[in-house]
Amino acid sequence: MATDDLTLVKRVRSGDQRAFKLLVERYQRKVYAVALGMLKDKEEAMDVSQEAFVKVYKYLDHFKGDSSFYTWLYRITVNICIDVIRKRGGGGEHVEFDETQDMDLSEARIGALGSRLGTNPQKSALRRELAEKIQEALATVPEKHRAILLLREIEGMSYEDLARTLDIPKGTVMSRLFHARAKVQKILSEYLELDEAKSGVGNE
Amino acid sequence: MAGNPACERFVPMLSPYVDGELTPAERINVERHLGACRDCTGRTADLRAESGLLRVGLDMAVDDVDFKDFAQKVMARVTPEKPPLIERMKLALSEMFLYQRTAMISSLATAAVLVLVALPLLMSDRAPVGYAAERMTVKSIQPYQNANARVAPVVMETDNGGTIIWLVDEESGDTSSSGKDDEELEEEIGGGMSPDGDGLKRPARPGTDAPRPSGGPL
Repeated sequence: MATDDLTLVKRVRSGDQRAFKLLVERYQRKVYAVALGMLKDKEEAMDVSQEAFVKVYKYLDHFKGDSSFYTWLYRITVNICIDVIRKRGGGGEHVEFDETQDMDLSEARIGALGSRLGTNPQKSALRRELAEKIQEALATVPEKHRAILLLREIEGMSYEDLARTLDIPKGTVMSRLFHARAKVQKILSEYLELDEAKSGVGNE
Repeated sequence: MAGNPACERFVPMLSPYVDGELTPAERINVERHLGACRDCTGRTADLRAESGLLRVGLDMAVDDVDFKDFAQKVMARVTPEKPPLIERMKLALSEMFLYQRTAMISSLATAAVLVLVALPLLMSDRAPVGYAAERMTVKSIQPYQNANARVAPVVMETDNGGTIIWLVDEESGDTSSSGKDDEELEEEIGGGMSPDGDGLKRPARPGTDAPRPSGGPL
């Protein structure tokens, strides 16, 4: 059975370097996925992922252990990503959602994604082009909403953990997640519609 | 949000419903609504599809990345590896020879000359033979035979072949030197000296008018 995070953290604190390597190996893929979803750029995502782990190591003494190690790790990752995005400047990244706007999907699109992809899409059924489109769709979502959506989908974090990780109320988590999903869904539906019209056949 | 006015209330609950974040009571209400609303059932399917799509899509993107060296790179940044001392010295030397060859060669030549000159000097710089010399041993004592001599020379031979002569100025009839009149002369001359036959210390009783012997030929 794998050693739990907090035990590994304790070992790292007592000077066990190998324990830290285990933590890195445990979370590297997910941290990278979050960074990639946030930044879209592969190299930047890789740099940020490494930076996140280096920072975690450096500030390990500040980790109190009253929350999960991974919520702390993701908070650091998301904060670095947001810093990178802000340093880039421009690009409409600061545009906040108009959260008063409701999930106004046109009637024609209701059920579009579900009917085309099924409720549990498999890698084999997913074309690379669509996988790339996902990152484009994510990039249209404001970074704070994006972070919530990514942490929910990649790590499967509970709303409670999301609230703790991002230091926001649970209600805000729910609201941001709802709007982020609506936005991404809209873009992906449009893409699939366009794709279907282009090929002239169904994409089942 | 077409026909059903209840959708307005339920649509925002669909996202937490899909995530399993509703209270049991809310969940029952949503499921009751879904049973009656086709649109919201479609929306729920869309949310599930999107969720799966994001997960799988990002997973595919991550699959493209080779994480073989990732952890090692992180570890190298948190614990910069220090090569062993010998390796570092080798590296430093090879770099010096590579970039400052002339300076290095002339420095080494100077160092070699210094060693060649300084070493014999250092080697010869041993403790002086004399009173304080650790290895000075008295090998022979030769009393000065002249009965009129005022001094009683004591000749000592040292380990390294040197000879030390004490010229002890003695008052007539007084064998133990004392007082302000005592005078000690020391001279070291090269070469060995054969010890005299009996080797007994027989202090002379020098006459007061006797010439002070120097450390001349013995």
